[in-house]
Amino acid sequence: MKYTLLILTMIISVANVFGQEFTINGTVKDASINDILPGVNVLVKNQNRGTTTDFDGNFTITNVKVGDVLSFSYIGFVTKEVAIKNSSDLTVLLQEDVSALDEVVVVGYGTSTKKEITGAVTVVGSETIEDLNPTQIEQALQGQVAGVQISAQSGSPGSASNIRIRGISTNGDNRPLILVDGNVIEDLSVINPSDIESINVLKDATAGIYGVRAANGVILITTKTGRKNTELKFNYDFFGGYQETSRKISLLNATEYALLANEAFASGGQAVPFPSVAGLGMGTNWQDEVFQKAPIINQSLTMSGGTEKSTYSVGFSLLNQDGIVGGNKDNFKRYTSRINYNRDLLESLKLTANMIYTGTNKKSLPVGGLGSILFNALNNAPTFEVRDPNGEFTLAEGVGLGAEVRNPLAMIENTFNSVKVDKLSGKLGLNYSFWNDFVVETSLQFNYAEVQGRNFEPIVNYGAGKIGNNQRITLAENKDIFKDYTFDTFLNYDKNIDEDHNIKATLGMSVFETSGLFSGSTRGFFDNPVDFANADIADAVDLRNELKLSGASGRFKERLLSYFTRLQYNYKGKYLLSGIIRRDGSTKFGPRNKFGYFPSGSVGWIVSEEEFLRDNNVLSFMKLRGSYGIIGNDRIPGNAFRGILNGEAAYVLGGQLVFGNAIGILPNPSIQWEEQKTLDIGVDLKLFNDNIDITADYFRKRTEDLLLQPQFSGILGATAPGSSSPVVNAGSVENKGFEFAIGHNSDGSKDFSWGINYNVTFLQNEVLSVNNSVGFIPGGGFGVGQGDLPSRMEAGKPIGYFIGLQTDGIFQNQAEIDAYGAQPNAAPGDIKFVDVNGDGIVNTEDRTDIGNPIPDATMGLNLSFNYKNWDFSSYAFATLGNDIVRNYERTESLVNKSVYALNRWTGEGSTNSYPRLTTDATNNTLFSDFYVEDGSFVRIQNMQLGYTLPIRTVEKLGLDKLRFYVSANNVFTFTEYKGYDPSASSGAPIGAGIDGGFYPVPRTYLLGANLKF
Amino acid sequence: MIMKYKILKSSIIAFLIGAVAISCSDSFVDVDSFDEDSESFFNSEEDYQSALIGAYDLLQSTYLNVMLGEIASDNTLAGGESATDVPGIQEVDNMSHTPLNAQLRDIWSWMFAGVNRANYILEFKDKTDFAGKEQVLAEATFLRAYYYFELVKWFGDVPLSVDKRLLFGDQDIVERTPKAEVYAQIELDLIFAAANLPAVQSETGRVTKGAAQALLGKVYLYQDKFSEAATVLEEVINTGPYDLVTDYNSIFEQAGENNIESVFEVQYTDVEGAGFGCLQCSEGNVAVGFNGIRNYTGPDFDSGFSFNVPTQEAYDAFEAGDIRRDVAILDIVAWADQTGATYVEGFEHTGFYNRKYIARKGDLNTGDANLTNPNNYRSIRFADVLLMAAEANNRKSGADDIKAQTYLNRVRNRAELGPVVATGAALTDAIYRERRVELVGEGHRFFDLVRTGRAAQVIPGFTAGKNELFPIPSIEIELAGNRWAQNPGY
Repeated sequence: MKYTLLILTMIISVANVFGQEFTINGTVKDASINDILPGVNVLVKNQNRGTTTDFDGNFTITNVKVGDVLSFSYIGFVTKEVAIKNSSDLTVLLQEDVSALDEVVVVGYGTSTKKEITGAVTVVGSETIEDLNPTQIEQALQGQVAGVQISAQSGSPGSASNIRIRGISTNGDNRPLILVDGNVIEDLSVINPSDIESINVLKDATAGIYGVRAANGVILITTKTGRKNTELKFNYDFFGGYQETSRKISLLNATEYALLANEAFASGGQAVPFPSVAGLGMGTNWQDEVFQKAPIINQSLTMSGGTEKSTYSVGFSLLNQDGIVGGNKDNFKRYTSRINYNRDLLESLKLTANMIYTGTNKKSLPVGGLGSILFNALNNAPTFEVRDPNGEFTLAEGVGLGAEVRNPLAMIENTFNSVKVDKLSGKLGLNYSFWNDFVVETSLQFNYAEVQGRNFEPIVNYGAGKIGNNQRITLAENKDIFKDYTFDTFLNYDKNIDEDHNIKATLGMSVFETSGLFSGSTRGFFDNPVDFANADIADAVDLRNELKLSGASGRFKERLLSYFTRLQYNYKGKYLLSGIIRRDGSTKFGPRNKFGYFPSGSVGWIVSEEEFLRDNNVLSFMKLRGSYGIIGNDRIPGNAFRGILNGEAAYVLGGQLVFGNAIGILPNPSIQWEEQKTLDIGVDLKLFNDNIDITADYFRKRTEDLLLQPQFSGILGATAPGSSSPVVNAGSVENKGFEFAIGHNSDGSKDFSWGINYNVTFLQNEVLSVNNSVGFIPGGGFGVGQGDLPSRMEAGKPIGYFIGLQTDGIFQNQAEIDAYGAQPNAAPGDIKFVDVNGDGIVNTEDRTDIGNPIPDATMGLNLSFNYKNWDFSSYAFATLGNDIVRNYERTESLVNKSVYALNRWTGEGSTNSYPRLTTDATNNTLFSDFYVEDGSFVRIQNMQLGYTLPIRTVEKLGLDKLRFYVSANNVFTFTEYKGYDPSASSGAPIGAGIDGGFYPVPRTYLLGANLKF
Repeated sequence: MIMKYKILKSSIIAFLIGAVAISCSDSFVDVDSFDEDSESFFNSEEDYQSALIGAYDLLQSTYLNVMLGEIASDNTLAGGESATDVPGIQEVDNMSHTPLNAQLRDIWSWMFAGVNRANYILEFKDKTDFAGKEQVLAEATFLRAYYYFELVKWFGDVPLSVDKRLLFGDQDIVERTPKAEVYAQIELDLIFAAANLPAVQSETGRVTKGAAQALLGKVYLYQDKFSEAATVLEEVINTGPYDLVTDYNSIFEQAGENNIESVFEVQYTDVEGAGFGCLQCSEGNVAVGFNGIRNYTGPDFDSGFSFNVPTQEAYDAFEAGDIRRDVAILDIVAWADQTGATYVEGFEHTGFYNRKYIARKGDLNTGDANLTNPNNYRSIRFADVLLMAAEANNRKSGADDIKAQTYLNRVRNRAELGPVVATGAALTDAIYRERRVELVGEGHRFFDLVRTGRAAQVIPGFTAGKNELFPIPSIEIELAGNRWAQNPGY
């Protein structure tokens, strides 16, 4: 011992000869959140010694001298080198390495790195979600991911969006499989977006690890966890503001309306309805009455931290959003609380436990479609006051308005309902490593949800013969329970052999069960006055529950049993090979077709690792990849392969309504899953020292054995109450296209930095075959009572294309009609239709392709700038080449009209675009391209300006970070479409793009703060 | 410490073993439905009764046959709000209907749905025995005959299936069966039903022996089998419990439902409704709302859609002093003057409404008020039986005009009209006239005109050799593989 000390002293003395050595102290922090980073590796370069930062992010290194270089490295951060200049304490800021090739990507039953991934996978990180302030997760994906199209079903708070990955590939359910921490989630509105760490979108056949459910793509969502060795940190986010309608449709005022109505009646040979128009003035603008500014407030608090062996994260959030129609009558509230806990039970055994509770409460109004509030704001006569002299709502009575047109404010006043959801989701998982190369993981995920609906109808009179009149106070309640669990067990093997060969293998199984219990609607009446808040179903009389009366079970249970394996091999980290096979058994299919095998494979070549490209100045990274596989779709109603007595059988015997049994969906014992054959060829590039990122993909998805429920011969009895057509495998659809994304992010450590990301998708959809006897499947709806449906799925055309008459201007005079001959009943001023089949008469046989609701291209653009403490981001997206059908105009004679009616045909030469106004029965209201418009648009979706207080100021306040921002969402839309919102869509594969009065997505102005302490 | 490790390790192993044990069997995905399987049903009397309710259910969808049948005749006009309000109904009124007509497709599909539900029971008729099974089978057989009779009346030759459902796949192979064969089966079914049904049922609404016989008589009449018709109809008159109700006005009110005159009545209720997307799902009489007075406010009646409006000519067809006129036809102008009621004139406003089947006040009208009127449809009234018997006796070879007069005058007497003494062809005409005014608004007129060869003379736009039958919906021909010939003229 004495010797040792002596030798040491000698060495130090000798070293001192060469330079003054000293001890250096310092702290390492995460630059983005100015938070300490424990566990960072600190190495003295070229000396093979170093240390790691402690619990408080501090480090001490002895015996260093000026000129030594310290290297700081930490997983997920850019390694930083600092040359020692003097002995004073160092503060080192590390930048998060967001585009790192080593970034871990969740790929389903395991992880991979960005570098090694051979499939088409896009990751959206929490930063993007923070920038966009979405209230629903879908909004964070809109325009962000090439190949993913998001369209809102409505602008109403809490309403869902359609998610389409690489086009519409089936006539049935096109939703992708969505897994949150491995847990199946059907309704994304229950998730608080700020709980999300990352969203991974699997777009190609590598999603085949999910087998029979993967054909519409897979979205894997990971929630936030804490970080080891960090003290408790709080993160509080707030935003609040107001929403307003992004658009109003220009309508006729009362005087214009009356004059045009008179013209129409006179032309039809009827007495004019407004003999005097004097004093009508502007009248009531129903849209001004219906739309309002509506508040939105969102708060969330996250607490996270970790010890040496465990991490935890706890979050709460509260969202309260009113609707721009009806305010609090169209309200969405969401409460979430979440706990995420991970612990290393042993060095080799890790436990994951998380639990999310979500409560939502949604009040809604009838806002879209025939007879809805917005429909009535457009169609009700401007000559009516809102209220009569007695203060009562006016009635939209009189012939010429139809039974559906009612006072929209009376409708808002008389609508009372709520849907309350309580949902508990959780996961318990164990991960055990053994024999160096093996990891076995097992987890149980579950969801439990209770959905309680209440609908109250007061006594209401909208006018004689109007729909929705109610003579007796009615309350209906229902309570449905949904349960599911997923039980996954899998083994991962990861082995390097001779440095050059890496083998990874996955072998596992998954069990899934979902079940539900519907209470049916219990309806009762109140004979004494009572309001919604105080109505208790226990006090109601004449209680009825038709589901219970009918004796139907109201229950379902479906299961999935799956085995899967994946083998990955790479040679020298540049040649990548992967194969997947999954066997699925599903309760959806009959005994002969229950089980299926879904294989897929992919290859990759990291070209930039080759000698000839190494150290290339331009190309810093290049990967070529390709994948092909067969994946499935089982999203059809349960029990479609067998006859189930859940149809409606109800008749009156002995003076009582009695219930019996009848068949539901007609059975087709031979149905099986849809098969999708998917090809993807892609390239990933990084240019100029990783400054520019490019990803490009060509894809072709061919869906075969499409599951359809087409119209069938009436002799089979499918139109009986509660029955429907059999589900059949009939048809195929192809989606092919090209995706391209390019991005640049400049060095974030400078005073000024900026970033730009752009993505575009070109998509072509074609139906290849429809194997029913007519060769097409009709769908959608136009106008009222028109027997021919406007949309079709037909071979050679995009799915859901519009079929109608083609117009050729307006007949200017009788001579023109006579000369044409094909429309003998037309009058001057009527629309001239093209006699497409040339048989000398215009009829339904002349209907032809007049539009396509699927966009040719969709794109998104993100821009961000940071200057010192200021940050700015802006984001826009566009869809090009899609058509929309204007179907929010009722054809009755006295409904109000859009201002374009002012340009109507009034005599020879007046216009060749807009037909005359008349109460005569004309063919002008037949579905034709007169009603089809270009729905292309460019939308500035988000602009945000933020200011982060300087660290010094913040520290004085005892905080780590404080940022304020102002933001506007849905800022402006450039479009030529006349309706409310070209972005909204019903989501039906056949019948999409038909606008029955979409609730416009609101424009939102927000003020927000992010606080960390 | 070592203990702790052991516990942990063993728990993991248990976890994994549990996972494998629970789920490794393929039978995990064999899950029974919570609802009954259609092929393993019919194990008890209750099952048969339950399926029978399903077969009865489609009777409610015949509201459309009644309404459209009336509109097709010279009794009423289509009406509605405008010339384009339900184009399919307007076309039938104008005799301009084509194979694209949506309402005709509804009738086709709904009647076949009824046939299939009746055949579902009969397919399994031998599976389980219980006391009183014949009666259940007789009811099912009657219902099949009822639906098939509607199908032959509207479409002529139709695919016939006996004791076997038409299943998925059959649409590609079945042929249209000649009308005569369909009629032969209907007769067999009704003879079987009449033989196995009681004269009086414990529950109103169930088919009786008299109903089966009356329908059989009607089916004979439609084939000009007058003697067979006379025999079976007279059996109803002589042995059935039926009689004319004294007060004609009471027949069509709520209180008059299932009265002594009602031989067969389609039952409706106001306690459960439906939407426009599934009119056949309503438990109410949809036609009543469609027939109702447009934008009406006033006593006695509820508002409706002003379809099926009687013509002046139909109003004038009543003899002076006929008490039935003001029961059958509402003169809305006079009514409004008298009561201060208000209404709006719809398309083709004639000033008249089909008073037998327009909406009455005081119903629950649960759901959509216009679609949930409880008014039962009096499908076969005893007055109809008397008039059919009169016609059969008058037109059979070896005519018995005395009997014919007796039956006819029973009906006239109730209407406070004097007796008819004519015989021969004059009596035939008198019976035809009486049928029109007694049964106006009840959906029989068009088919009476067609079967007696008078349609072309009186229905505007009617083309002889074509309009006797309605077209098979073209989409139905296509969906059955484009193998069937269309009806003549379409």
